[in-house]
Amino acid sequence: MKNSFRKWLLWAAILAGLYTAPVLFGVFELNLLLGASIFALFSLSLNLLLSFTGLLSFGHAMFFASGAYGTALVLTRLDGCSLLSAIFVGAASAVLVALVLSPLLVRVGGHTFAMLTMAFSQIMYATVMKFSHLTGGNDGMSGFPIPPLVIPAVGLIDMSLERNFYYFSISILGLSAWVMWFFTRTPFGSIMVSIRDNPDRVTYLGFNVPLSKAIILGVSAGFAGVAGSVYALFQNMVSVDGVLGPLSSFTPLINCFIGGLGTFIGPVFGTGIGTILLELMSAHPEQAQLVFSLVLISVVLFLPGGAIMLYWKITSRWIVLRNKFQTAILKGNHES
Amino acid sequence: MDAIAVMLITQGIHGLAYGMLLFLVASGFTLIFGMMGILNIAHASFFMLAAYFAFQIMQWSGSFWLALLLAPIAIAGLGILMERLMLRQIRKFKLGKAVVLFELMLTVGIMVCIEEAVKNLWGTDPEIVNAPELLRGLVQFFGMTYPVYRIFIIGLSCSILLLLGLILFKTRLGNVVRAAVQDADMAGALGVNVPLVFTLVFGLGTWLAGIAGVAAAPMLTVFPGLANQMMLDSFIVVALGGFGSLFGAFVISMLLGELTAFGIQFFPGYSTIILFGFMALVLTIRPSGLFGEKE
Amino acid sequence: MNPDRKQPRNMLMTKRLNHYFGERQVLFNISLEIQEGTRHAIIGPNGAGKTTLFNTITGKYRPKNGSILFKGKDVTGFKPDKLVRMGLGRSFQINSTFAGLTTFQNLRMAVLARKNIRFNFFRNLDKMQPVTDETDTLLARIGLAAERNLPAGLLSYGKHRCLELSLAMATDPDLVMLDEPAAGMSRIETHQMVKLIRELTHNKTVLIIEHDMDVVFSLADRITVLHHGEILATGTPEEIKANQDVKDAYLGETKVGNAA
Ligand SMILES: Nc1ncnc2c1ncn2[C@@H]1O[C@H](COP(=O)(O)OP(=O)(O)OP(=O)(O)O)[C@@H](O)[C@H]1O
Ligand SMILES: [Mg+2]
Repeated sequence: MKNSFRKWLLWAAILAGLYTAPVLFGVFELNLLLGASIFALFSLSLNLLLSFTGLLSFGHAMFFASGAYGTALVLTRLDGCSLLSAIFVGAASAVLVALVLSPLLVRVGGHTFAMLTMAFSQIMYATVMKFSHLTGGNDGMSGFPIPPLVIPAVGLIDMSLERNFYYFSISILGLSAWVMWFFTRTPFGSIMVSIRDNPDRVTYLGFNVPLSKAIILGVSAGFAGVAGSVYALFQNMVSVDGVLGPLSSFTPLINCFIGGLGTFIGPVFGTGIGTILLELMSAHPEQAQLVFSLVLISVVLFLPGGAIMLYWKITSRWIVLRNKFQTAILKGNHES
Repeated sequence: MDAIAVMLITQGIHGLAYGMLLFLVASGFTLIFGMMGILNIAHASFFMLAAYFAFQIMQWSGSFWLALLLAPIAIAGLGILMERLMLRQIRKFKLGKAVVLFELMLTVGIMVCIEEAVKNLWGTDPEIVNAPELLRGLVQFFGMTYPVYRIFIIGLSCSILLLLGLILFKTRLGNVVRAAVQDADMAGALGVNVPLVFTLVFGLGTWLAGIAGVAAAPMLTVFPGLANQMMLDSFIVVALGGFGSLFGAFVISMLLGELTAFGIQFFPGYSTIILFGFMALVLTIRPSGLFGEKE
Repeated sequence: MNPDRKQPRNMLMTKRLNHYFGERQVLFNISLEIQEGTRHAIIGPNGAGKTTLFNTITGKYRPKNGSILFKGKDVTGFKPDKLVRMGLGRSFQINSTFAGLTTFQNLRMAVLARKNIRFNFFRNLDKMQPVTDETDTLLARIGLAAERNLPAGLLSYGKHRCLELSLAMATDPDLVMLDEPAAGMSRIETHQMVKLIRELTHNKTVLIIEHDMDVVFSLADRITVLHHGEILATGTPEEIKANQDVKDAYLGETKVGNAA
């Protein structure tokens, strides 16, 4: 009872904080927060594959990019496209890419999955460059119109206003994160975790593993697409190196590891830490990535539970977490 | 001789030189993967780092030959440190299947770290490494001219290849290494000091990448992005050639070298798509690669 | 269970199954007939191909040639999950549970499978009371209630084996295939396991691989002896005991095995 009260209090505080942020902070901090939440959602979508299904993707940026390009394209080409449809088109194109690739992707796991996703994101990069008349090639696309949000009975909400756009994006991202969280709690979510643990057994319980993996891939890609779509709206531009560059797929992975694998909230933590770190280093941008990579290496070597593990330890709830963590990623070594 | 033939042969030699370098990098990559099951994403970064080491050593001493000797050794030292201090540390956590994820992420971290460190130490502008006096210019035979340095790369790689072949197939150490690549557990049960062999192979693999890096420095541009192309190419080599297969790596490296040399002329812009598409197909339909012996 | 199920005389039939690993043939013309309601044991020395036969029957491997009939239907080339949905259950020689999940979560997967809750994206599983209740009942029934929240990988070997068996029985299968369920167990544990098998497989068709002759003779109605991938003999326990070929091949091989 007391626990759940504390939980509600925490949520209320977070919501209140997010609501009042535009009042308290300037545009700069607001943009920082918005950027961080876009990448938090991107990392969370990757985490569905990584922590919950045990699949390491080295090409998740292709779904983010599909979302970004899908939204940018539809806004450029289609006059009068509404805001929500543009986001929907972004998400749908990411899902489409995932479903087209899924016949190949669901057959493999481990290293092969990592290499395969990497190959596909390279193909995507080359494709984007090849169709430069559509995508703008190296220069990317920019300056597409950002339509207002139409709410029946309320009217038009102008999205070129920082504050309005902030509220809108935060709501979309928060809602997406909640849907994903719920997704992990459903019966299908438990199938997902079981596939990570022992796909053979899942098959012998009569579940269709390839089909399930395809669904997970689609869902994960869809939310990466939402993140990419909001990113395109936020930046009002998409460039191939911004969304498909060498580090684009690694950044969310790094966030997940720094935050902590095996938990739902870990990637959010990791993104927060990454953002703060980059901000602290903003005076020396050329060293920021170096520090970031050193943090990643130290986490992998010394704190495999990630920052969230540290947090729990500090709040002396680490025993509880240890069980959770063990359940989540410890596979007994009895298997030999 | 007509101009087309000259062009073809020159391109062919260019492709051969790149293919050889690629093989030096990919062979270490595939040996390490075959033996330890570790996909070392940072492998090509060692290649790039070696090129910078060569640049630095030449700044100090002016001798390319000294660089060719020392830089690979320094790289191998770093590789051994990475294996001993880091990869081994991860196995201490009882992570079960997740250990693969952590190993991969560690190598990703090291890849980023090397690239950023290089940017900080040497900047992002390309550096120029000159080939030694002896290897500059062109040679003429059969009525054609070739750049000496490319011929040197081919010769050097062939010698290293020969050396590697002799070590692997003719010495006791080679037997042990091959046994451990085939089946590390079995080799361990037969009394092989598997951890030591792991370290040796890791050192050997990074040393090969180091040689390639120094050799490549005068031929390719030395800049931080040098690792990217090499990493992607060696991925293709290992995936198509079969994980752990040296022979497969050799054949694919040569093919890829030639394809890169000629492909630019024949299907500009599509070579990446075709290549990676082909790689994806092979990975799913024949995971053992085109030449893989292992199941 | 299945109202429209005809009463097939044969639960499972294989016709001249052959399987190869690369060039090497490990199964030679295996023809089996398992009558509904019988307990059929497969015995044979190590490496005879028993597990491979299970993998082939359950669709993990595709046989090079030959066919498999399950409940009178040709199922050659069917994937395991489809066969399981048709009423087949299997346990593995090496425990194949969800080692990182708790015992409760393991069995909950079994309950989901039985209740056919597969692609459900709209309900919170923790709040599905019937599932939780059924899982807890199952836990109590196989005597693992005390280990409810322990990761399966940390269970004692005997208990882990019980869990493995219950996962095989999860979908309430008509044909149960058990691969050395009592392997590596002490006398007492073996005894308990046999009891549990009897209890859980009451009225079911069972195909069991077992090395322990006491277990085989106390459980099986019929026995097939596999040797170097070939069927040496099939018959009642008495017939097998009396069969000279079996004695020569099987016992001879075992002795060699022991000496090595
Ligand atoms: N995946 C595989 N690849 C290649 N050969 C295999 C494979 N699995 C089994 N074998 C070989 O096939 C033969 C039969 O193996 P199988 O596991 O079916 O024997 P078994 O009768 O179950 O033995 P045991 O009593 O030890 O369990 C053995 O010689 C084994 O080495
Ligand atoms: Mg067996």
